[in-house]
Amino acid sequence: MSTKQAQLAMVIDSSMCIDCKGCMASCKIANDSPEGQWRNWVKHSVPDFTARFPKIHFQPGGCMHCDNPTCVQACPTGATYKDKKDGTVHIDSSLCIGCGNCIPACPYDARFRNILTKKADKCNFCAERREQGLMPACVDTCPTKARVFGDINDPESEASRLLAKNADRLVRVVNAKTDTKPNMIYLGETAPLNWPVEAKMPTAMVALTSVVNPLVRTVVGLSGIGVAVMLVRQLIAGSGSEDDVHDESGTDSQNKGGDA
Amino acid sequence: MSQKQLKRHDRSDIFIHWFNAVCWLLLLITGLALFSNPEIDPVGSGYPAFVRSLVGGGGNLLLIHVTLGFIWAGGLLLYIMINLKGALFFLKEVFVVSPARDIPWIIKKMVIMTVGPKPLGDNAKLPDQGYYNMGQKAFAQASVVGCIVIVVTGIIMFLSDRTLGAEATALVSWSVTLHYLAVGLVFAGLLVHIYMAAISPEERPGFLSMFTGHVPEGYAKHHHKIWYDKVKSDSGSES
Repeated sequence: MSTKQAQLAMVIDSSMCIDCKGCMASCKIANDSPEGQWRNWVKHSVPDFTARFPKIHFQPGGCMHCDNPTCVQACPTGATYKDKKDGTVHIDSSLCIGCGNCIPACPYDARFRNILTKKADKCNFCAERREQGLMPACVDTCPTKARVFGDINDPESEASRLLAKNADRLVRVVNAKTDTKPNMIYLGETAPLNWPVEAKMPTAMVALTSVVNPLVRTVVGLSGIGVAVMLVRQLIAGSGSEDDVHDESGTDSQNKGGDA
Repeated sequence: MSQKQLKRHDRSDIFIHWFNAVCWLLLLITGLALFSNPEIDPVGSGYPAFVRSLVGGGGNLLLIHVTLGFIWAGGLLLYIMINLKGALFFLKEVFVVSPARDIPWIIKKMVIMTVGPKPLGDNAKLPDQGYYNMGQKAFAQASVVGCIVIVVTGIIMFLSDRTLGAEATALVSWSVTLHYLAVGLVFAGLLVHIYMAAISPEERPGFLSMFTGHVPEGYAKHHHKIWYDKVKSDSGSES
């Protein structure tokens, strides 16, 4: 075992994908994804019919469990977080309230708001199956073994060996404006490449982090300074009311001991 | 008590004040820990992790916060139902401002409390105030408006993963932002409120009245002259 923390990842030879969609079907069953919602996908290139044999390239994918996950940055509560133990981007569904911030923050559109749970949902590399020592459903199902899953920080893993063997032909599909350092690595040429979008932070979250939070800190800080000044003055002057023009006729003296 | 006392707070008023205080404290402790994002880090990143470890995770923390929130809002609702007259009196006293008296009062008061009365020279005398002074009014106004925002956004967030659809997520997201904004601004006022009431000696009789319900006449006459005069002219034979 490597001393480095684990980083679970998927190494994909997309040229082996035959678009059978077995990964999508098995994922749906393993994770109970609602009708019309998918945790993974098979994308394809624009078919080229000019060649003698029509050419098309299929590209399986899903949540890329990025090293720089913009979805995590968009989550106010940490319900979505990068798990330090295995490097996956995880959703704590007991803490998620389905505010939706993370969904446009993913350049891969890997997240959706589950129509049944009303919370954020996406691939978790089949955490439940892994607990039982099984591979993620999509990996298990793939008839051509296009998807290889493992800890890429462990040099002994098959995923690591594949990466080492193909070190000069590794492709990470990224949007030029948002490189989230994805942990889904394609071997050799893959297509399509231009589909990731720019990560979009929801306006309310931008307002929260760049306007409301500094404002609240400033106002609370000023208030705290004001109280501190009053307290210092009270301690120096002996009593906050000493200089005040008091006329509390009948006030018992022990109650207002410091009064002039 | 050597001097005559005036009734200032009902038992339900006293109860709701301290009930509210305890709820706010607990809601603040749990609510602050619900943020866990380096960009929103009001009390340091170790705090959310610490509180979450105490209650067994973020999910439990959310559940506790939401439960407390409903207890708090329910308590306020119960108070309004039990003492509608008192609640309406409070709102009227708080939101009716007399600029000619109240603006100079708050400016002078702030100068006196921070640098002392000397810069004001002969102008240091504060204008007479009613049941609440302008400082109390300002904090109460912020609290009332803040509470409405907090309750409404809280309910929206509560409903988010229960009844609201994906099309409502912008509303939920903005609720998170506004919830924090309202709490933050009310908390800034709360610091001054706690200082004035519990630490500054001047308002000590007012502070004690939040336990006893009564203030000494001399205090009322000096701090809330308009209210004092009104009580005196209204009471007549009453004691």
